[in-house]
Amino acid sequence: MTSQVAAGQPAPILPGSAAQFEAFLEPVLDAAYGTALRFTRNRADAEDLVQEAALLAYRGFGSFERGSNFRAWFFRILTNAFYSKYRKRKRQDTDVELGPPPELYLYVQTATLGLHGKSTDPAQALMAKLESEHVTAAIEALPEEYRVVATLYFMEDFAYQEIADIVGVPVGTIRSRIHRGRRLLQKALWRIAEERGIVGTLTDAVDEGH
Amino acid sequence: MHPPDRFTCEEVFARLDDYLDRELTAEEMRLVHAHLDTCAACASEHQFEATVLTGVKDKLRRLSVPSDLMARISARIAAERPGRGGLAASPSQ
Ligand SMILES: [Zn+2]
Repeated sequence: MTSQVAAGQPAPILPGSAAQFEAFLEPVLDAAYGTALRFTRNRADAEDLVQEAALLAYRGFGSFERGSNFRAWFFRILTNAFYSKYRKRKRQDTDVELGPPPELYLYVQTATLGLHGKSTDPAQALMAKLESEHVTAAIEALPEEYRVVATLYFMEDFAYQEIADIVGVPVGTIRSRIHRGRRLLQKALWRIAEERGIVGTLTDAVDEGH
Repeated sequence: MHPPDRFTCEEVFARLDDYLDRELTAEEMRLVHAHLDTCAACASEHQFEATVLTGVKDKLRRLSVPSDLMARISARIAAERPGRGGLAASPSQ
């Protein structure tokens, strides 16, 4: 994605372009807000961030290549805005030390509980018990570098290369952060399932499938 | 050595994440798929991971967006002076 506009020189905003810009923005706004909410972890900051990104995007709309992917272009602006606004803050103390990411964490945990080999699919039994709130809490517990990439990945189905372009790091780094982030997320999900008493109900849920 | 047209369980496991995300080459996608068709152990792990992945995506995407967000953005865009444009014209408060 190359900009046609020289650096430091704002693109002219043409008359009528506000309506055109908003026609591009509106279809991606819900997703952008959802992503901003996972980035910032609170509604007020998420609303501020989306509004700020929208204004930045509007001012730079002249450099958006018509026919290219507006969603990816806008999410790059949103992600950059998040980083420039929040990265300088001191490390969030809510970041949980998750340790090294184990492989197949939920698979192993549910197998250990004896939930495999029954008539009910163990993954479906677990996911049926987990609510949006639990999954949200798990993703918000990830360290920032994983949270940002995982959010773009889980919420938006961007390809690895698209996420690399949005975040501005090499695709190999994105690949390993997604893989690692997914494992950390599984571990966080299980911890939350334990804390909320969900794990204890799983055995019954699977046995009832008989 | 094993035939180059087959993947071992180990080779499949190393590619499971990329396979779930369709980030392998067409040939590798085919080889993983062929292995999953014939290996119950790997197929069970793949099925589990795929179900968790779909469930997480589905649950994360359920959210309520403030209904007036677009209207507030429109108002702020309207407040920008077209022609004066650019960052210099941005309100800084
Ligand atoms: Zn196998």
